[in-house]
Amino acid sequence: MNRKNFLSSIIPLMISASAIAKEKIGNKNIPVKFEEEIPGKIPPYLKPGDTIGITCPSGYLTLEDTQPAIDKMKEWGFDIRLGNTIGSRDFTFSGNDEDRVTDFQTMIDDPSIKAIMLGRGGYGGVRIIDKIDFKKFAAKPKWIIGFSDATVFHSHINRNFGIPTIHSKMCNSFPADWNNAEPVQIDSINSIKMCLTGRKMHYEGQIDENNRIGKARGILVGGNLSILENLSASKSDLETSGKILFIEETEEYLYNIDRMMWNLKRSGKLDKLKALVLGGFNNIKPDDPGEDFGKTIYEIVLEKVKEYNYPVCFNFPVGHQKENYALKCGVFHEINISDNTVLLHEV
Amino acid sequence: MITIPPYLKPGDTIGILCPSGYMPYEKAATAIETLSGWGFKIITGRTLGNQFNYFSGTDDERLHDVQQMMDNKSIKAIFCARGGYGLSRIIEQLDFKKFIKNPKWIIGFSDITILQSHLLSQYKIASLHAPMAAAFNDGESGNQYILSLHHALLGRKANYAVPGIELNRNGADSGILVGGNLSLLAHAVGTSSDIKTKNRILFIEDVGEYIYNVDRMMHQLKRSGKLSNLKGLIVGNFTDMKDTTIPFGQSVEEVIKDIVKDYDYPVCFNFPVSHSKENYALKIGCKYELVTSPSEVLLKEK
Repeated sequence: MNRKNFLSSIIPLMISASAIAKEKIGNKNIPVKFEEEIPGKIPPYLKPGDTIGITCPSGYLTLEDTQPAIDKMKEWGFDIRLGNTIGSRDFTFSGNDEDRVTDFQTMIDDPSIKAIMLGRGGYGGVRIIDKIDFKKFAAKPKWIIGFSDATVFHSHINRNFGIPTIHSKMCNSFPADWNNAEPVQIDSINSIKMCLTGRKMHYEGQIDENNRIGKARGILVGGNLSILENLSASKSDLETSGKILFIEETEEYLYNIDRMMWNLKRSGKLDKLKALVLGGFNNIKPDDPGEDFGKTIYEIVLEKVKEYNYPVCFNFPVGHQKENYALKCGVFHEINISDNTVLLHEV
Repeated sequence: MITIPPYLKPGDTIGILCPSGYMPYEKAATAIETLSGWGFKIITGRTLGNQFNYFSGTDDERLHDVQQMMDNKSIKAIFCARGGYGLSRIIEQLDFKKFIKNPKWIIGFSDITILQSHLLSQYKIASLHAPMAAAFNDGESGNQYILSLHHALLGRKANYAVPGIELNRNGADSGILVGGNLSLLAHAVGTSSDIKTKNRILFIEDVGEYIYNVDRMMHQLKRSGKLSNLKGLIVGNFTDMKDTTIPFGQSVEEVIKDIVKDYDYPVCFNFPVSHSKENYALKIGCKYELVTSPSEVLLKEK
């Protein structure tokens, strides 16, 4: 057994703490991990009767739109605790910054809450992330669940504590009418329960002639491209070396996706990957007439990684789409991309 | 020390090119005429009027055009006819070896911010944030903003005065001026083109953005440590701002004011630097004094 992994299974917190050093960048202390990446303490998996808290740290969500998620998670056997930000609203936000901080803080500090599902994305995480105290969370981690703007939390928690989180659909993606929901949507939602209850996860991606073949093993990290760019050089900046990176995006212009990919590349996030997984790039905004960008998502991505030799796959079922499977960020995965299969396994 | 490229004399040559988006040649005709009228010789690069999809050429064509004008000793300044998007794609391939020995003014704004930031952060060379070709059209070639470019090129020290407004935070300080387009400054964060802002006066402007995204980009500047030790903040015009269906609830000015509320340096809003015609020439990398009072905002080159 690999000594480091063996140790990490016994005293993960101590190891990950010793692996963190401080580097002065700008005026912020940005933690930098030196040693071989070791996953942080895995939050306890949930048992029937455990409580899931729901809070909205970003955009606002009505109680009505939260109800399908409440019902479904109760059906899974969990108790639900609703935060004060559910159904509350301050313009586009689910409350002012202070309200959102308080709600999130209360939930991460409350030992009776075993996991926190975010109501929805939108915008607002970056406004409050520095005001949240993760001390108790780091000592007694719990699962944080969401995607899109929630990438702020995934990235911040991964960078600073190495604690795994769940990148998945949130309350607003649970259908009100299950009978008319597409099977992939139901499967995607059910995959959250599988993640939460400790099932080893296995995923199948799409065969695509643009995929770059290969096998790799590494900690899975990633999220929304805009958010990852937005966190650059902050203390939430994602460290990607030696990892499997996944990215997804929605409602962006091709030129802006290109520009953001340059930011990832130029800030050193693409050169030491184990593998790159592209999820959905949905609802791409049309170029102005006569000013076509002239490159596809495939070309935009592949030209950025042409000098590296890790495997790359496209159209993986993660993103702003019905097929958006729950992924455990911060956990070791193996990916195998061949001509006739794309398989991602939690190790 | 920051290197200030030599100022121009009548008879000197200005190269005109498009390093990013496509621009039809005729849209640059008035700018060419005006610069010629100021007594400069004009050389146009292959990328002016050239089109490759959205761009003014393939990456190689644009790279080659910028490179050869940077390296050509007889060209004393490079006037970027248009921004758009594209410099990020070629910036890492540009070779600055000859340019460092013979620095010249790079003129432009918007997408050009990435090149100007790169010049300052990597080579400590000043550049000129100023109107580009489209600003000369529609009878505007003699306006005070275009004239400010002429004066800047000749080495005259700028002394801009605009009325004070209620929103401003009053005060006075001086420092090296840095800045440009907010989206590009945010995009450069964490890369080798990222600018340092400590003890400097920062100016920002943007166009066509969602208010929430301005907020997000301002948080990026703040969280990467760029707003805490400024000597001053000059907020230009944020033109054609968009809001989401659910209103953001703050104006761009309120967003910015909120983000810098913990600091005490002077801040002024609606300064004439922008994507509209109100766009004074500003020398990035040169020292200025900023004075904001209830009656007036002064930006004086030292």
